[in-house]
Amino acid sequence: MKYTQRAMLYISRKKGKTLSLFLVIFTVAVFLISCFGVLNASERLSKDIRTSVGAAFYIRAKTEVSTNRNGETEVKENSVNITQKQIDEIMLTGEIKYWNPINYGMVKGDKLQFIPGDKHTEESNMGKVTGLRLSALAPDFTDGAAVLTEGKHITAADSGKILISEGLANNNRLSVGDKLTLTHAKLGKSDGEYIDEISVKTAYVQVEISGIYKLNIGDNAVKPTPSVAENGIYASLDVLDKLEESEKGVYTGEVDFYITDPAKLDDLTRNVQLLDSIDWTAHFIRTNDFQYSKIADRLISLGDLVKILLVAVSSVSAVFLTLLLTMRMRGRMQEAGVLLAAGISKGDIMAGFLLEVLSVAIFAMLLSYAASFGVIGFLEHNLFGGLQPNLLNDETLSAGIKSSVRAENYLKLNAMETLLIYVCQLIVTAASVFASSIMIMRLKPKEILSKMA
Amino acid sequence: MSIIKTCNVKYSYEENKTVLKNVSAEFETGKIYAIVGPSGCGKTTLLSLLGGLDSPSGGQILFKGEDIEKNGLARHRQNNVSFIFQNYNLIDYMTPIENVTLTSKLQPLPILERLGLTKEEAKRNVLKLSGGQQQRVAIARALASDAGVILADEPTGNLDEDTAIEIAAILKECAHQMNKCVIIVTHSNDLANQADVILKLRKGELQAANTRDTSIN
Repeated sequence: MKYTQRAMLYISRKKGKTLSLFLVIFTVAVFLISCFGVLNASERLSKDIRTSVGAAFYIRAKTEVSTNRNGETEVKENSVNITQKQIDEIMLTGEIKYWNPINYGMVKGDKLQFIPGDKHTEESNMGKVTGLRLSALAPDFTDGAAVLTEGKHITAADSGKILISEGLANNNRLSVGDKLTLTHAKLGKSDGEYIDEISVKTAYVQVEISGIYKLNIGDNAVKPTPSVAENGIYASLDVLDKLEESEKGVYTGEVDFYITDPAKLDDLTRNVQLLDSIDWTAHFIRTNDFQYSKIADRLISLGDLVKILLVAVSSVSAVFLTLLLTMRMRGRMQEAGVLLAAGISKGDIMAGFLLEVLSVAIFAMLLSYAASFGVIGFLEHNLFGGLQPNLLNDETLSAGIKSSVRAENYLKLNAMETLLIYVCQLIVTAASVFASSIMIMRLKPKEILSKMA
Repeated sequence: MSIIKTCNVKYSYEENKTVLKNVSAEFETGKIYAIVGPSGCGKTTLLSLLGGLDSPSGGQILFKGEDIEKNGLARHRQNNVSFIFQNYNLIDYMTPIENVTLTSKLQPLPILERLGLTKEEAKRNVLKLSGGQQQRVAIARALASDAGVILADEPTGNLDEDTAIEIAAILKECAHQMNKCVIIVTHSNDLANQADVILKLRKGELQAANTRDTSIN
């Protein structure tokens, strides 16, 4: 009788022992696949968050704080003064994915009724315009304070495009695609009343509504009409240039730079601050890693925990498997003795034992692959539910950063990784068979038979 | 002519503990031999050495004139000898047919039927058979290997009187009709008296070789 036949007979006849071995290997396999899935997912997710969401640094003007004659604190907000040439220099420092200058201005519109603020009059019926290249990267949108609900974001290729709030659109029955004529304005104060300091209008521009956004934050403070959040208009850069509110190629609001890897943010800003062409006495840099550091901490903690678990469970499983097989082998000492007495070689006997265990292991592993889908679904929901990164690319910049990567895709192991885990587990299982059999295999046939007696 | 013989075989363990001292004996086919003696005199050790389960500390064991260590003890066990044990030593997850097939060079079922097992019994799990039936399966396994020498260690030790008589008859048949050399280690007077030759061992030394009907006291 060949060892293959003996092994198959043992598996089919000793159902209880086969089942217990199957359950141990199955449980360990499901655990290992799931743990490696989580480990891989946390590493890949961390990498994707770094490269997809990225990070940003903003060049802003320093504010001047002083005390007036009455002892009151006065804050003077200066303008940024960054030119296109300086931006080109900054872009050369490396790894910057997008740049987004922001200019600010005030506008009035033909028959456009802004949402009334404090002491609203026809003079103060104006709104604040934020001119930029990429509206999706405006801090309100990246921080989630505003969300595009209709239409498309403004991109660098756009001209004469604006985004308005739902409140402003409803107030004026406007929708995406509608065209408006805007003119320049400047809020002033006279005798306690808000006035428009540009009484003679010389600049007009026709714009098209590219998108409508919704504000996610409340705005109950008492403020003049242009400062009401819902009166904010995002416009392509050319709009403020045409309204003579800004000079083409000179940016006075702030200039934002977006990079792909938050881990390089500090080095990059350090290099930018070494540029002599920018007056750093008047400007400063603020960094924003889009909460990457918080997410990364969670992912690193999770990864470390899984690594510890993997090492602990793998070691315990290997010891447990060896003990289980040792107990099993003790019960088979008689069989080994009979086979040796019949002239069957130790190698042949060992091959039979090995084949039995590995057959059960392979079957358990195949089923564990199927079972791991259920575990991965559970883990996806419970571990990665809140960690789905937004992809930042040219497509999402236009459509709004809505698309996300499902964590399930991260948790799935590819075929090579799964195969590698199974091969490692089979090697450990085979080593356990050898370790558990060595006690018997080192004995002489006579010693085995005398122990049997 | 002898099929297997021992030439000045010595066996000791832990250096000073000698079990066998210069044992020389010859065993022929067609005969049944009984090795008798008090417990610890080296009977089972001698049987193990004849069966190639261990190597002697000194001397030689020759099978058909050739040292059994020359071609390896495993090959000797596989081709030249077969064992019958007191506790049967059947593999418990196999049927009688499968147990016999373990070493079989012959068809197992005719041998089992010849030893008194029905077809149905031959397909049952061995643990569902009586002690006598299990020993018959063990004998069938020994016969199926087609070895020239059958080595039996207390083959009737666990059996009742009637079954022991039946097993003794089968072993005699193996020797006299199938031309095997059957060597039995036993404490049983009844079984030893069935042997053609009785070898007495005392303190590791072979004292006498008597023919049948000789008392073994």
